[in-house]
Amino acid sequence: MATMTTTPTTSAPTSTHRDAAEHAAGTVSPRVDIYETDKAYVLLADMPGVAPDGLDVVAERDEIIIRGRVERPATAPDYQEFELANYYRAFMLTEDLDTGGITAKLRDGVLRVEIPKSPRVQPKKIPVRTE
Amino acid sequence: MNGQSMSRPWQEMRRLQREMEHLFGDMAPAGRWSLTGEYPPLNLTRDDKGMTLEALCPGVDRPSLEISVVGDAVTIRGERKPEPDASDERYYRRERPLGAFTRTVGIGERLDPDQAQATYTNGILRVQLARAPEATPKKIQIQN
Repeated sequence: MATMTTTPTTSAPTSTHRDAAEHAAGTVSPRVDIYETDKAYVLLADMPGVAPDGLDVVAERDEIIIRGRVERPATAPDYQEFELANYYRAFMLTEDLDTGGITAKLRDGVLRVEIPKSPRVQPKKIPVRTE
Repeated sequence: MNGQSMSRPWQEMRRLQREMEHLFGDMAPAGRWSLTGEYPPLNLTRDDKGMTLEALCPGVDRPSLEISVVGDAVTIRGERKPEPDASDERYYRRERPLGAFTRTVGIGERLDPDQAQATYTNGILRVQLARAPEATPKKIQIQN
């Protein structure tokens, strides 16, 4: 049972949070991996071109929103296969997550967000005593 | 979704990438597949001083990242590895391609490998390339 789902996004995500400036620059939805460990849920997002000061991760009630700002070059390249755009994506959370303990790390354009499971949900090994 | 189906796209791309591709100069002969759309995507900018090649490849394992220059070609090699705490059965969503990649491009101008320099910042690889001295255009003066 997935307890973290992404809100449906296309290449132009709709959201009541977006302001006009974000829309004008053009935003893309970063590719993500989401997986579970015993202690946490982990979200990885590819956000190349984003520096630490351009990254914004907000956990608010039942949502996590990630935003990344990139610097677009002044002139277009002579040969172009990619174009940088700001990133935006939102995710729904459920109650068994401890949003107070969320950590976020950015390295080489990959964001890693870790959301600890609340202690009562973590699998607990029960020591077996033999009598 | 198991790990096996994720690695097949990489194997397919590696097979295509064994051929050189030419960004400038001769068009690919008829019958060859278009070799664009491979990984990583590239941008190229030229000016009088040289060329800058940019590759969009976040999260590459730095020891695996390798750039080589010979003739008019640049080869970029590397690997995107899974996180140590990730296990195949516990993914809820898997969109990011992982695995080893190689891409070779022909720039169309002879390069000077000794002057090539690369940086890898925020997941963008930037390779500064210089033309080989004999390939540098020489300005011709008008005599009269």
